[in-house]
Amino acid sequence: MMQLQGVIDSAVKEVGKVLLGKEPQIRLALCCLVARGHLLIEDLPGMGKTTLSHALAAVLGLSWKRVQFTSDLLPADILGISVYDARDASFSFHPGPIFTQLLLADEINRTTPRTQSALLEAMAEGQVTVEGKTRALPQPFFVIATQNPVHQSGTYPLPESQLDRFLMRLELGYPHPRAEREMFERRHSAIREIDNLQQCINAQQLEAIRVAVSKVQASDSLLDYLQRLVACTRQSPEFEVGLSPRGALALLDCARTWAAMHNRGHVVPEDVQMVLPAVASHRLVPGGEYAGDGMALVDLLLRNVDVIGS
Amino acid sequence: MKLQQQVPRNALVWIIISMFALVAPHALRLPPWVLLVYVVAVIWRILVYRGRWSFPGRSVKLILIFSSFIGVYVSYGTLVGLEPMVALLLTAFAFKLIELSRRNDAYVLLFLGYFVCITEFLFSQDLLITLYSMLNVVLVTTALVALHQPGEHQFNRGSIRLAGVMLAQALPLMVVIFFLFPRIDPLWTVPVNNHMAKTGMSDFMKPGDVAKLSQSADVALRVKFDGDIPPVSALYWRGLVFSRMQQGAWSALDYYDVPVKQQRPREMRTSGDALEYTVIMEPSWQNWLYGLHYARATTPGVRHTADYRLSTLSPLETEYMYRVRSWTQAQAEPGLSQWRREIETRLPPGSNPRTRQLAQEMKALTETDQQFIDAVLNKFSTQDYVYTLQPGSLSELHAMDEFLFESRRGFCEHYASAFTVMMRAAGVPARVVAGYLGGEINPVNRTVIVHQFDAHAWAEVWLQGQGWVRVDPTAAVSPERIEWGLEAAMQAEGSFLSEAPLSALRYRNIPFLNLLRLRYDALTYRWQSWIVGFNSERQLNLLRDIFGEINTRVIATVLLGSWVLVLVPVSISLFRKRATRQVSRPDRFYLKFCERLARLGLVRSAGETPGQFFLRAEAALPAYAGQMRDITSLYNQLAYAGTADGEGADASTLDTFSRAVKRFRPSR
Repeated sequence: MMQLQGVIDSAVKEVGKVLLGKEPQIRLALCCLVARGHLLIEDLPGMGKTTLSHALAAVLGLSWKRVQFTSDLLPADILGISVYDARDASFSFHPGPIFTQLLLADEINRTTPRTQSALLEAMAEGQVTVEGKTRALPQPFFVIATQNPVHQSGTYPLPESQLDRFLMRLELGYPHPRAEREMFERRHSAIREIDNLQQCINAQQLEAIRVAVSKVQASDSLLDYLQRLVACTRQSPEFEVGLSPRGALALLDCARTWAAMHNRGHVVPEDVQMVLPAVASHRLVPGGEYAGDGMALVDLLLRNVDVIGS
Repeated sequence: MKLQQQVPRNALVWIIISMFALVAPHALRLPPWVLLVYVVAVIWRILVYRGRWSFPGRSVKLILIFSSFIGVYVSYGTLVGLEPMVALLLTAFAFKLIELSRRNDAYVLLFLGYFVCITEFLFSQDLLITLYSMLNVVLVTTALVALHQPGEHQFNRGSIRLAGVMLAQALPLMVVIFFLFPRIDPLWTVPVNNHMAKTGMSDFMKPGDVAKLSQSADVALRVKFDGDIPPVSALYWRGLVFSRMQQGAWSALDYYDVPVKQQRPREMRTSGDALEYTVIMEPSWQNWLYGLHYARATTPGVRHTADYRLSTLSPLETEYMYRVRSWTQAQAEPGLSQWRREIETRLPPGSNPRTRQLAQEMKALTETDQQFIDAVLNKFSTQDYVYTLQPGSLSELHAMDEFLFESRRGFCEHYASAFTVMMRAAGVPARVVAGYLGGEINPVNRTVIVHQFDAHAWAEVWLQGQGWVRVDPTAAVSPERIEWGLEAAMQAEGSFLSEAPLSALRYRNIPFLNLLRLRYDALTYRWQSWIVGFNSERQLNLLRDIFGEINTRVIATVLLGSWVLVLVPVSISLFRKRATRQVSRPDRFYLKFCERLARLGLVRSAGETPGQFFLRAEAALPAYAGQMRDITSLYNQLAYAGTADGEGADASTLDTFSRAVKRFRPSR
């Protein structure tokens, strides 16, 4: 167990070298990947979304590819295509960039829904079907997608069904002034940190973490709290759409992973509270006066739902 | 406005539905403009909901309030009295709708709604009205429930289910309270307004009054005999005795008209078995009761008068039930006092000279009083006198002359009146008695239903050695009336209930409808005798039957005991429902710990985890940091380190934890 937290800490530290002062987000991102979930990073351009994705791929030691989504990108550009080979006089399949362990889908909401949906099967099933033939993707398979805030022009908002496939959604936010200052100071050093990131977690370690997660216990009291949270999203008038059972499961999985990452054999309410904003904010549809602000909704949940049953 | 204070659409619809349901039974009694106010108020409120109109301003409201007062005053001529007060209340109820903007207003409106529901009982305690009022209670409760379902934006019927379940739970308690709660007489009385059209006997009778009454198919009384029902033609229900004739009209003697010594009825010698029966009277707004000759009531509170009638102290505003024993063969007043003889032979001086002359001539031709009576009756039956519901009007002073010698058309009161005048003119003590004759036997429950159209007037003559003897001159003119009832007597004329075309009685030749009517009447009888007639005295009897001697302690014990009996099953079912998510023991101790800190001003907010709360508490109360740390970590261990099936929280840890909490007594 001790060793597990050490592994995670070293990975966080490693990623922290390139993304300064964003430790909580890095931890959440790792939590998401350890829990076998896909990650959505949403923020304004230039906030370090792509950097975080790169760094995560590097410390996890995964093969990764990057696709820049544009409005004219077609499904075939991602999935791959059969090309006629004149020498063999036959069609041969040229796999697209999706055949990798970690796919960086940059600016996913810049592309059309048609292309977005091409990712759906891959994300849900770990396989793609091209030209009638189903092909398995390498394991593990992760998607880290970045997107610009929905209200920016030239974006196609992801439908709820696709949002739901992402285990977490993170927002990076502006860096702390101190971190930003350090960034300025490092700007002209000769080494590009991102190329020199060490792999911190190998495949066995990842598997070990997963085993540890599966042993994490969630007590009655905690499940009660979880259910109160979920019930609140379904009953309060502030929510147009509550948390789906899949969302509730995601919350529990992430909380367990978070507990395991902190060397605990059981989940405590703090774990749930830590992962709740990232897990729930993109799944909740606000109604009434909270329109448009998922984060305010999550705040409301955290404030109003009693941790201890009465 | 905050979301919490808005009135959801579902609730608004339910409120409007319940308001209309509440006002509906009052509709026929209210002036039409009050109903118009309801329609306008609802339209106004709906337009406000749609954002077309706005809520009324202060000045508009003032104008509306004043005009409603004026409107009620104009419609009723007064503001005091039951009906104007109810009309005022209902108008205010409608106005409340157009200022219904937040939830608090809706509370006021709906609680007022429960009150409006009760006001209906001031007018009728009919079985159907009671059932309808229960429906109203469900509707108002539904609106109240809907008010607390902010998520229900669309109108739906889900709320009525919940309201029904809630009220069903309250039903056993209602029954207990109905039967056991001490019945206190009202501390004040509301003046009953005479505005309402009432049918029934009055203590003042002119020729033509009973004929008018016979157009009504309302029920006057229902009678249940303990034994067999005597023949219908013998059921002379005495109600009023008219001993005084003034200006062509008969009136009863007031209590103070009678000399003090003769105010109490003389004891009568009774022989043989008495007829025993129970009478339930419909509200008559008068204070006399009906009974067969010679009636003695066994119900306390019923007075007996010198002319052998029954009466109550106050007018009957609701159904009234009393028990009577009657000895039909008893001799009434075998010895007549001088005062009584004088009163019962007095005629207004100078009135009806021809009648007097005729009477004196006929009296001279006969020897005994009995022969004279027979002669007069013979005159009615042999000459061309007509028994009719349309007798035409008569002059005031010499009405009997006009009737006997010219029109010769009359209803029972004409014949009774003419007969009595002739008797008195000849010096024979006589008086007119008014009441009902006969009744309809309901085969369903063997009760006698007496309708208003059974109203009848007959005469009583005092004969030496026999006392007061009943003589019915109508029998001489129209024997069918006595034998078969009014309908048969009026068959040729076709005037029976000609002014009540919708009365169910008119359709009694259709067997199915008739059976339905009689069954409902039987139900009404049961309802009235058990529910409406359940007064403090019957309550006491019931309790006495069950518990023996009654005193305060017994009543208190019974009341509390039965409440417990009703509430315990409800509590058990609620407890069982709760048991699945009962507060576990560690939680209970931890909450105690929070409570102790709350007393020092450190309140754990809902979303605060034990760990976060500890950090805050540690900063505020560093002296207790160690204790609080232990408690928090023990709690975390107990509540969260266990497995999902509750194992692992071993007893010793729980013990340590509970002791730690008990020891924890922080102070600043």
